Amino acid sequence: MSAAASIAAMAAIEKSPGYWSGVLTRLRRDPVAMVALAVVLALILMAIFAPWVAPNDPYRSSMIRRLRPIGTPGFPLGTDELGRDMLSRLIYGARLSLLMGVMPVIIAFFVGSAIGITAGFVGGRVNTVLMRTIDVFFAFPSVLLAIALSGALGAGIFNGLLSLTVVFIPPIARIAESVTTGVRKIEYVEAARASGASGFTIVRVHVLGNVIGPIFVYATSLISVSLILASGLSFLGLGVKPPEPEWGLMLNTLRNAIYVQPWVAALPGVMIFITSVSFNLLSDGLRSAMDLKA
Amino acid sequence: MSAAQGMSAAPGGSLAAGPLLSVHGLTKHFPIRSGLLGRGSVVVRAVDGISFDVTEGETLGIVGESGCGKSTTARLLVDLITPDSGEIRLANRRLGADMTVRDLRRDVQMVFQDSYASLNPRLTMEDAIAFGPMINGMAERQATNLAHDLLSRVGLEPRRFAGRYPHELSGGQRQRVNIARALAFSPKVVILDEAVSALDKSVEAQVLNLLSDLKSELGLTYIFISHDLNVVRYMSDRVMVMYLGEVAEIGPVDSLYSNPAHPYTRALLAAMPSMDPDRRTEEAPLSGDPPNPINPPSGCRFHTRCAHAAPVCSSAIPNLSRLRAERHLAGCHMLVPGSGHPEAAAEARP
Repeated sequence: MSAAASIAAMAAIEKSPGYWSGVLTRLRRDPVAMVALAVVLALILMAIFAPWVAPNDPYRSSMIRRLRPIGTPGFPLGTDELGRDMLSRLIYGARLSLLMGVMPVIIAFFVGSAIGITAGFVGGRVNTVLMRTIDVFFAFPSVLLAIALSGALGAGIFNGLLSLTVVFIPPIARIAESVTTGVRKIEYVEAARASGASGFTIVRVHVLGNVIGPIFVYATSLISVSLILASGLSFLGLGVKPPEPEWGLMLNTLRNAIYVQPWVAALPGVMIFITSVSFNLLSDGLRSAMDLKA
Repeated sequence: MSAAQGMSAAPGGSLAAGPLLSVHGLTKHFPIRSGLLGRGSVVVRAVDGISFDVTEGETLGIVGESGCGKSTTARLLVDLITPDSGEIRLANRRLGADMTVRDLRRDVQMVFQDSYASLNPRLTMEDAIAFGPMINGMAERQATNLAHDLLSRVGLEPRRFAGRYPHELSGGQRQRVNIARALAFSPKVVILDEAVSALDKSVEAQVLNLLSDLKSELGLTYIFISHDLNVVRYMSDRVMVMYLGEVAEIGPVDSLYSNPAHPYTRALLAAMPSMDPDRRTEEAPLSGDPPNPINPPSGCRFHTRCAHAAPVCSSAIPNLSRLRAERHLAGCHMLVPGSGHPEAAAEARP
C-alpha cells in the first residue's frame, strides 16, 4: 500500500462521535442542567468582573445609612450593619465564596483520585494501608473535622482552604477506589495486562477514562457542600476575616440585624442557596449525561 | 496483511523436536478468607496438578462443567493468574527460567467470552487493536495500519469499523475485533476462552469458520475452551476433559468421542442431545452439581457421581493411563488392570 493510498484510506474512515461530545449533546438537551450551568457561569463572571459590575465600593461604611431596607434609592438591596452597600458586597463576596467552594474540591479531586485509583488498581496490601488511613478521617463528621483543622491551623483564607481540602480528600478517594476496583476486574483490563502493558500504561489508557467521569460527577456534587462548609467556617470566624466580603461571614455579622431587617440579613444565605443548588443540579445533569445506557 | 506481520517468527521446522506448549503439574489453589483474622486455611483447588502438551498447529479443546477449572487454566497459561506450582514451556523455553512473562504474553494471546467487557468502551476499534503493538514498541502509524489490515482480515471493513466504539457493534462484530486484537501480536498460540459461547448460533458458526480460516492462513495453534461439546468436536484435533481441577481424559477428538474411556466423559457425551433416535442416551445422566472444590472427594474425584464407583475409587487416586489409541489417556481405575476395581481387567502383572 503506497503512502498516498494509505492517507486516502485514513481520510475515508467513518469516525463515530467521541464519548465527550456525546455527553455534551445530551447535556445540552437537559433544560434544568442548562439553567444551572447558566447560573454558575453568571456567578463566575460576576466574581471575575466584580469591580465593573458592583455599583458601589463594598468597603465604604456609613453610620448614617445603616440597615436600609431593600429598594432604597442608590442601594437596591439595602445596606448592612455598617451601612455598606449590600449588592456590592454580595457581588464581591462571590469571589471569596466561590474560591472557598471550588478550590478545595478541585485540589481534593486530583489528590483523592490519585490515592483512590492507586489503591483500587494496585489492590492488596497497598489498598488496605491507603484505605484504612482514609477511613480514619471518616471517624469525624466533616463539619467537625473542618472546624478542628482550621481551628488548629488558625483563621485565614489559606488555612480555611487547606482544611476544606483535607476534608474532601477521603470521600473522593473512596469513590475513586470503588470505581477503580470495579473497572480493574473487567476483561478489557485483563486483556491489556495480557498484552504486556505496564500498570501505569493500563491506568492511563484503560482505567482513567472509565473512572474519571463518575469521580468528577461526585466531586461537582461536593462543591455545594464545600461552599456551605466554607461559609460555616467564616461564620464561626475561622475562615475569612472581616471586613472582607464573604457570604458566610456576612451572614454572621448580619445575624443581629435579623429582627430589624430580616430580608437584608437573609440575602447572603439566598446567594449560598442559589449557588449550591445550581452546582448540585449541574452535577445531576452531568451524571445522567455521562450514563451511556440512558 | 504482509507476511512479515503474519508469522514473523515462522519456525522453520526447528520445533519438530517437542510440543509447542507444554504444561506440567500446573496447580492453582485460591485461599479463602475465613476466621477472625482472615487467615483461613481453606483453599479452592481450582486447578490441581494438570499436565498436557499442545503440538504446533493443532487445536486442543478443553471441556467440562462450570467450575471445573477451564478458565483458570486459560488464565494461568498467560500468567493473568500466577500458578502456585507447575511449569509452562513454550517452544522448549521454560517460563521463569529462559522466558519472561512478557515473552509468554506476546506469543500466547487470549480471547475472552464477554465481547463487550473485553473492549474498553472509550477506545475506538482501531485504537483497541493498535494498543498491544504500540505497547510493544510499534510506531502509532504502523500500528494503526496493522489494525486496519487485521480488521479486514476478520471480515470487518476498516473504513466502516475502525472509528467505531464497542457499543455500536453487534456481539459477533465485537468478538471479531477481539480476535483481531489477539492477532495483532502475531501470537503462536491463541486461547479462546468460551469465545463463541455468548453468540447466536448463526453468528457463532460464522466466527468459528473465521477462526478455522485464520488458523490455516496464519499457522496458529488454538486452545479452545467451551462447554459446548458439538462446537469442541467441530473445532478440535484433540480434546481434554476436565473435572474438578483435574484432567479426567485427554485424547484425539475421534477416539475420545467414539470411544470415551472415562465414565465422566461418557456421561458428558451422553448428555449431548442426539438428532438420531437410534442413538438414544443409554448411560444414566449425571445428577447433581459437581462437589465443592474446597473439599474435593478423596481418591477419584468423580466417584461421588459415578455409576461404576467401587471401594477403590474413594481410597486411591487414579493415574492417567494410556489407552489403545495414540495419545489417548484417561484417569479411571476401571482402565487399570489389577487396580482393585471389580470392572477392571484381572491382574496383569504382579
